[in-house]
Amino acid sequence: MPCIVALIVFGIMGIFSASQRALAKEALDCVFKRVTFRPCNTGFAEKVKGKLIGKVLKRSTFLAKLLNKYYEVFSWIFFILMVGSTIWVLRGGYNFYVYGSCNGLNSSGFCAFDPSGSNNKVTPLGDSETCGTVQKTEKTVTLKNVDLSSFPTKNVGGKDTVVFIGCYACDYSRKAYPDILKLVKNKNANYIFAHYPAKGEVTNSLANAGYCINKDYKEKFWDWNSYLFTTDKNYILDPANLNTMLTKFSFDVQKINECVNSIETKDAVEAEVKELNKTNIYGTPTIFINSKAFVGPKPYRVYRSAINRFIFF
Amino acid sequence: MINTDKIRSDFKIFDGKKVPVYLDSACMSLKPNSVIEAMNGYYYEFPACTNRSPHKLGQKATKKVEEARKNIAKFINANNEKEIIFTRNTTEGINLLVNSFPFEKGDIVLITDKEHNSNLVPWLRLKEKVGIILKIIKGNDDGTFNLENFKKEVLGAKFVSIVHTSNLDGVTNPAKEIIEIAHQNGALVHLDCAQSIAHQKIDVKKLDADFIAFSGHKMMGPTGTGVFYGKQKLLEKLSPFMVGGDTVLSSTYESYEMLEIPEKFEAGLQDYAGIIGLGEAVKYLGKLDYKDIEEHELKLNKYITEELQKFPQIKIIGSADPSLRSGVVNFYIENTDMHKFAIMLDEIAGIAVRSGQHCVHSWFHSKKIYNSLRVSFYVYNTMEEAEVFINSLTKIFKIL
Ligand SMILES: Cc1ncc(COP(=O)(O)O)c(C=O)c1O
Repeated sequence: MPCIVALIVFGIMGIFSASQRALAKEALDCVFKRVTFRPCNTGFAEKVKGKLIGKVLKRSTFLAKLLNKYYEVFSWIFFILMVGSTIWVLRGGYNFYVYGSCNGLNSSGFCAFDPSGSNNKVTPLGDSETCGTVQKTEKTVTLKNVDLSSFPTKNVGGKDTVVFIGCYACDYSRKAYPDILKLVKNKNANYIFAHYPAKGEVTNSLANAGYCINKDYKEKFWDWNSYLFTTDKNYILDPANLNTMLTKFSFDVQKINECVNSIETKDAVEAEVKELNKTNIYGTPTIFINSKAFVGPKPYRVYRSAINRFIFF
Repeated sequence: MINTDKIRSDFKIFDGKKVPVYLDSACMSLKPNSVIEAMNGYYYEFPACTNRSPHKLGQKATKKVEEARKNIAKFINANNEKEIIFTRNTTEGINLLVNSFPFEKGDIVLITDKEHNSNLVPWLRLKEKVGIILKIIKGNDDGTFNLENFKKEVLGAKFVSIVHTSNLDGVTNPAKEIIEIAHQNGALVHLDCAQSIAHQKIDVKKLDADFIAFSGHKMMGPTGTGVFYGKQKLLEKLSPFMVGGDTVLSSTYESYEMLEIPEKFEAGLQDYAGIIGLGEAVKYLGKLDYKDIEEHELKLNKYITEELQKFPQIKIIGSADPSLRSGVVNFYIENTDMHKFAIMLDEIAGIAVRSGQHCVHSWFHSKKIYNSLRVSFYVYNTMEEAEVFINSLTKIFKIL
């Protein structure tokens, strides 16, 4: 048993250090009983045991005696803990690769691979009265019974569906945007974009503008959308710049302005937000890939793995 | 009297904060700074070939190497420096002898029952290859030499090759008497002085030894250095088993002309730095009085022996009398693997001791003893270190 424990311990440590690798090899020999009667060489198990007990003996005779007496028992306990923590680490690694977080999809608990938790950061909606969305747990975020038909859509008929709920003013949405575009392009996925005005009035007017542009200039909407996600945030959010931006895209400035300010548009956008709230969204960006929700900007591989059949391809 | 403080100040290893309790000198002695400096001197100042070099660097290297040879010859009281052949270690010296001496089928060779593998395996090979008859002289139960057995076995023997001081139990064989008896019976004698050279005065003339071999690393010299001594007239009769560069005066496509001794045995470029270091080690040892060394070791051996005798389970290998065991205390506990003791001693107090069968497997197998723990000391060891060893061992006994 001590050999197996040592094999696992030194095997893992050996990934990082050559000297531990040599010990791992010794442990392997020990496990497979390749070290037979060699009284001139210290048996590996004895060496490890002697070193451990010696270390303890330096501090406490009592503990050393205990360890010596119950060495096998301690080995078993250690073994079980090792196996447990190894599985836990592997699971964390898998989760990190596939979901961008060690703790599973959208979990914001501490993850050693992403210590700042950047893969799960969202712009919360709950603090904004205009949005009025209550923080929900990620498990309840869903597309069930949500009607997305009024939102801009492309690649209709694609095998996979990507729904991106983001906000022009939110850093995390802006971070995720290029990856989502890349994903949609590479996988030729059916893509629905929904703007969620997470930051109140300033974002409301851009939401309205988007609604109007999609209505009148369907084809150009996607360029407009990209422009807003990639241009300086302060510039696009300043209402004084709206007309200049519209002119840049050769839109009919007056017509769009009228549309933006109309009651009908306001109602329509409000209705859209209501519809989006049905998803139990609690922050942007929220991305649904084939109905699975990804909250916060994940690394590209996470989005890709969600579509791939075998994680990697 | 040995002044350990003064001696320790010559060894850098004792300078640091984490000073080891080094009790493994039978395996490898520590080296004084002067030895290391002498070696560095070669590498830094005149790292050149010897003999053939026309340049000053080469001449200086030649001078230093030959100085070392002279010093060593003087150290063991050889007739002249030609009798000193540089080797890598004792093992190489013995192999040189075994493979160069004109042994023939049926020649009787005697060794003891306590030989290091280096003075056993080459003879076993020779037995296989040439068909010599190898006889083992059984010793007394306390590890001392049995002269009566020897006298019986030596009749008709051609050669005797025995360990001088055993690395197993530190017991020294009565070399002078053995050689005398052997010579009376027409046999030549080789002494394995790997252990004895550092602990007692070796005077090849007084002993009348025909050949001796020893290693530099056990006598404060560098690793990879050794000496094979032989009486000039005998060496001249040996045919070297390793030849090539530096062993010949000249050669044609058909023939070669060998150099004289010692060169004909030193094939290829040698470890000049090591040889110079060994010369320095001999100088260092020359300043010490062997009587003092023996007295110092006996004091430590006596203390450790007496303390170990308080543990009833401990069995000391060899004589119970510490005065017969030089700087060695080797002990075992029945049915116990002594490795764990060595590991724990190192862990608890940085004590370096040796566990295992000490390359005398044959003895352990015949006695059915698994292995043992050997404490061996030298001039730089102190009484405090002996106490640390005993205290740490006592601690281990408390938890086992
Ligand atoms: C008695 C004896 N003979 C021979 C040897 C072999 O010496 P080396 O390994 O230096 O050749 C040793 C080394 O421990 C020894 O103690």
